[in-house]
Amino acid sequence: MTRRADLANDVAEVLLTEAEITARVQELGRRISEDYAGRELTLVSVLKGSLPFMADLMREIAIPVQIDLMEVSSYGGTATENTGLVRILKDLSSNIDGRDVLVVEDIIDTGLTLNYLMRYLRGKNPASLRICTLLDKPARRLVEIPVDYVGFTIPDRFVIGYGLDYGEIYRNLRFVGVLRPEVYADQG
Amino acid sequence: MTEARPRPAFAHASEAELARILDFYEVRWEYEPHCFPVLFDRSGAVLESFTPDFYLPDLDLYLELTTLKQRLVRRKNRKLRRLRELYPDLRVKLLYARDFRALLLKYGKLALADALTGAGGQSTPPRTRPAPEASPGAIQPAHLGDRAGGPPSDATAPGLSPTATAPGTRPAGAAMRQHRARRARRTRAEARALAAVRASAGTLAAVRADAPPGTSAIPGGPE
Repeated sequence: MTRRADLANDVAEVLLTEAEITARVQELGRRISEDYAGRELTLVSVLKGSLPFMADLMREIAIPVQIDLMEVSSYGGTATENTGLVRILKDLSSNIDGRDVLVVEDIIDTGLTLNYLMRYLRGKNPASLRICTLLDKPARRLVEIPVDYVGFTIPDRFVIGYGLDYGEIYRNLRFVGVLRPEVYADQG
Repeated sequence: MTEARPRPAFAHASEAELARILDFYEVRWEYEPHCFPVLFDRSGAVLESFTPDFYLPDLDLYLELTTLKQRLVRRKNRKLRRLRELYPDLRVKLLYARDFRALLLKYGKLALADALTGAGGQSTPPRTRPAPEASPGAIQPAHLGDRAGGPPSDATAPGLSPTATAPGTRPAGAAMRQHRARRARRTRAEARALAAVRASAGTLAAVRADAPPGTSAIPGGPE
């Protein structure tokens, strides 16, 4: 990215305010607490985008949870990352055999990454495996995956903030916004 | 996808890129494995057929990728509507140019979008097509049979690299004419194959009955 990002001016529109996100995360936390009451839950955050969501969500869950982190390479990654096949860059550090696992995602669009991840995690024999995503963009879906907890269903626009990036920037915005098209047109 | 197989000659560089993406995420795919007749004349002869670009067997999903300008996709939309009417159980997803562009943006490859969309992406050589293999229901088109899905191989997939598909290397009009000719050849071959199996394909009887009377669409136009 040669152009210098401008956090204040690169956002065309705020799609979800900080207050809206907070309220929804609290609601999701309540639901998850009820659904998993009395069970052993492991939250698996998919790096890097889901970090803020994970941090907020886990504090809204009122039952004991373990957390773990995973990172999966993305198509079009750097030359050193892109081997032509998806791979696990950061694997689980704990054993999920027999545990209830909830995968925490920032956004689901094509479903390709999650499809791969779910196949991988199923191989580790969890007692249950479900998905919680902050954002769902169904218009982009290629692989249909049942999503158990959805924060917001959003329109087909390129969004940034609250963990979501463009060129690794904008993750630290406290809201979810739409990036001005000129920003990525400049990079094209 | 452990076995490396020769990749098909894709009709469009954007299809090759989509195949790479599917390969990356270990989603099995087949390139144009099935052809579906969508328009018939009064005698039951196939006038038009639809061959989705990809079939994802594990997901039972067909993908059709069209990177032409939006105003040029009306014909394809009509064929897709017809396909859904005739084969309501078929799961087909149409990816427009804007969808493909968004996909490349997501993967930080937006610079490729202009090179791989529209007529500029049609830089693959004409395909060599083996003899047709007919089967009831979904019908094997005349030019297919080679399964792809192995690791990407630039050497066997012309048009994959941005340099090979850079706009301006061939006049857009010439590329479009070549594309139309290729489509026309394919449709004629499909029609011949379909005619050959029409009698044995039981599903076609129902399909014929559903065909509007007096239809006169001419097969082989650009998509």
